[in-house]
Amino acid sequence: MSTVADSWNDEALLAALQHALAARQAVPAEFVEAGQSTFAWHNIDAELAQLTYDSVRDAEPVAATRAEPASIRALTFTSAHLTIELEVTPDSLVGQIVPVQAATIEVQARAGDPVPVAADEIGCFLIHPIPRGPFRLHCRLADGADVLTNWITL
Amino acid sequence: MRDDPAVIALVARVREGDQKAWDEVVERYSPLVWSICVRYRLSRQDADDVGQSVWLLLVEQIGSLREPAALPGWLATTTRHECLRVLRTAKRNDAAGLPPEDQFPADPSAVMIEDEVIAAERDAALRAAFAELPGGCHQLLSMLVSDPPCSYAAISSTLAMPVGSIGPMRARCLERLRRSPRLTGVLGGPVSGGPAKDTEGSTR
Repeated sequence: MSTVADSWNDEALLAALQHALAARQAVPAEFVEAGQSTFAWHNIDAELAQLTYDSVRDAEPVAATRAEPASIRALTFTSAHLTIELEVTPDSLVGQIVPVQAATIEVQARAGDPVPVAADEIGCFLIHPIPRGPFRLHCRLADGADVLTNWITL
Repeated sequence: MRDDPAVIALVARVREGDQKAWDEVVERYSPLVWSICVRYRLSRQDADDVGQSVWLLLVEQIGSLREPAALPGWLATTTRHECLRVLRTAKRNDAAGLPPEDQFPADPSAVMIEDEVIAAERDAALRAAFAELPGGCHQLLSMLVSDPPCSYAAISSTLAMPVGSIGPMRARCLERLRRSPRLTGVLGGPVSGGPAKDTEGSTR
């Protein structure tokens, strides 16, 4: 029996195996686990909101010339239909969803039960205290739409 | 690129809501997503961000993926887009005024993506074939490819096998690996150094 595999001698095959195993070992375990845990969302029709602005990362040149205190960090998450603005105060997170509307928001840490937070009729919500470690926000809107942010680490 | 029946079957199971199949997809293709993040020299935090987005987008879109066999290519392209998104956000301020494309002269581009997909397919098939080898072969080959490499003396004492038997067993185990149905159609392309004619093992 002759196959294409015949053209690989022992040394080439061993080197290829070494490469394959090393490529897997190079991937951090948490990177794989985080990917596996996303399947929890398979039957939830959630829209992904991505970080599109972080005042620490993307400080606008204009902001530097203003006399505002630089201590308030602002983050913006954007999905196709919704924007979530977050401000980091010393002890809590102040948020607003745009377009403004009432919503139920869950603060989800990698471990532990999600913590529900209500957004009022103008979309404002308060998260206190600031979650320690990575978390994300799952917003359920009154019209039934679901929006999920990327993981956030503050 | 061949249409890997294993990938098609996995995607079908994921669509039915099978968490184990999903875990296997992530296990199989995380090295592809990771290696592209590495190519773009992302920080660990940015790589995590990209990984999250890619897998969530896949959860969202796996039901509507037209060609399940094209999953590796879809993952690679999506990862590249996510890497560029992260870099663009991070560099928005560094190169103010420049159009985004000019900020990425080193963008590894579509050719790199295609190379990564081919390597990832081959690697995944090799790992799957390797996982199915009998225990003795699995252990011996693990020791032979370990870094730093194990000496034949160390292998001999760990596996309780005479040094003289290691060479022939190595050849037998590699032949089993080579014959694995998992590798059908996979080993055609050259690895680094390229394919070479087997002179000793193929007649066994």
